[in-house]
Amino acid sequence: MNLPAVISSLIFIVSLALIFSEKINRAIVAITGGVIMVGIGKILHFYSEEVALEAVDFNTLGLLLGMMILVAMLEPTGFFEYLAVIAARTSKGKPVRLFVLLGSITTLLSMFLDNVTTVVLIAPVTILISEILGVSAIPYLVAEAILSNTGGVATLVGDPPNVLIGSAAGLSFNDFLIHSLPIVVFTWAGALVLLLYLFKKELSKRPRNVKAVMKLNPAETLNQPGTARRILVVLGAAIVLFFAHDLLGISPSFVALESAAFALLWIRPSFPDVLKRIEWSVLIFFAALFVMVGGLESAGVFASVVGLLERAVHIPPVLFGVSLIWIVALLSAVVDNVPITIALIPVIQGLGENGMDIAPLWWALAFGAGFGGNGTIIGSTANIIVTTLSEKTRTPITATLWNKRGLPVMLLTCIIASIMYVILYSTF
Amino acid sequence: MEISKYMKRNVISIPETSTIREAAAVFVKHHIGLLPVVDKNKKLIGVVGLRDMLALELPDFLNFIADVDYVHDFGAVETTRPPAKTLDKPIKTLMSPAISVPEDTGLLRVYALMLQHQLHDMAIVSKDDELVGVASRVDIGAAILSTWSKVA
Repeated sequence: MNLPAVISSLIFIVSLALIFSEKINRAIVAITGGVIMVGIGKILHFYSEEVALEAVDFNTLGLLLGMMILVAMLEPTGFFEYLAVIAARTSKGKPVRLFVLLGSITTLLSMFLDNVTTVVLIAPVTILISEILGVSAIPYLVAEAILSNTGGVATLVGDPPNVLIGSAAGLSFNDFLIHSLPIVVFTWAGALVLLLYLFKKELSKRPRNVKAVMKLNPAETLNQPGTARRILVVLGAAIVLFFAHDLLGISPSFVALESAAFALLWIRPSFPDVLKRIEWSVLIFFAALFVMVGGLESAGVFASVVGLLERAVHIPPVLFGVSLIWIVALLSAVVDNVPITIALIPVIQGLGENGMDIAPLWWALAFGAGFGGNGTIIGSTANIIVTTLSEKTRTPITATLWNKRGLPVMLLTCIIASIMYVILYSTF
Repeated sequence: MEISKYMKRNVISIPETSTIREAAAVFVKHHIGLLPVVDKNKKLIGVVGLRDMLALELPDFLNFIADVDYVHDFGAVETTRPPAKTLDKPIKTLMSPAISVPEDTGLLRVYALMLQHQLHDMAIVSKDDELVGVASRVDIGAAILSTWSKVA
């Protein structure tokens, strides 16, 4: 390896270590790392501002921004609370039924909307419902986080790694429905059944007050029914366009941004309020990571890694894919899956340029990044959110609890995904 | 108009060694909204508001759900009491640092401070920090309004 490769790797590794240590906000680390990468790159002549700009995947950023704007408008309408209250009433206070309903709603929402927002909005109502019932909120919260992580793997827009992979590999929305959704259906069902088993003691406890739940009034959760209706219409249209984006020759990010623009124009909300609800730190984090990874690419780091991999790894492609699922899953369980995905994308692309069939590897990456996050309390943002919320209640979720209930689910989902990966390998 | 003229002088207070359970009994017995905590020299060291006590009974979700319009029945929460472990904790774990004013403070300043700190009652202390009285918003408001009758 030459000097630029060594220096740029060092910048990237130090930044990753700082991000994973969670001592400093990850967006601050990334933006600093990106600036240092460009600065050193200019001095050592391996990177420039122009190349850095090209390294930023605006397709990913546009898709994330568009969806964030739509969710930012849907959030204050009370729609999420509405669904949770409907679930509570439909369950008639029966714990298992409530568990399945809340889990399914969270999954469906997070297949199309940001997992984090979904969980942020559903989890508080979940705590409310379980307190009214007089039961522990823990099983419901853990299930919501895990099932939304799992469901998100099914679609192109379901979770950030998929957005990244879809954009880099040129995979369409339908590609995800064809290749990822069937596997997710099985892993999701497996996860649900295992969760029901792991929480069977908690869920068999009779609720103390069912009548009160039936008095929850869903209509009163909707602050702005008209706005909610309009956004749902736009979201529905966006999903239809997602199905057809490949056919129409438009990118998913165009669909998301055009839907956002249309919704903004139709509803004309207070724009500063919308902007406040957008996760700018996520967008900045992504953009800065792209700049950093672009530096590694320009310095030839990925070419060396790919060369090394090809010389060292002589295993059948199917096995290579399965190993990728597990390696990425184990990494995603302990650290943020976004930097892992962003860093692995150029490696896979490099393997493709050298003649390997990489189409199956994209799916392996998506499954590993998605299911791995279930394993630990810090595995995904959704896990962190339900944990933080539960810490404000009388029954907090502990790391030990998650290791007992979440880790088995992660292992099971990865096993199911691996088996189906092998079975469906020829179709990828 | 100094607060000392309008405050209640027979102040109910509890020693710093009391438990939350004992404090609750004092709140019930005397029907009060603010309970000053004093050391053995009657020096004010903190206050416990009715709201601090009730926070132990209120459900956690009120901390992160702003809108509870759609909840018509709090169900099991209505019959959930704080655990015995909590009630037997020293009152010092629940009290907040005392916000107090000296007895020669003007009424409007006392009222302004109460608004600023969202207090319904204010502890009044002597020059050497000894608790000498308590004034409620009602005491202060009535004292101020009483002067209006003289406005020609």
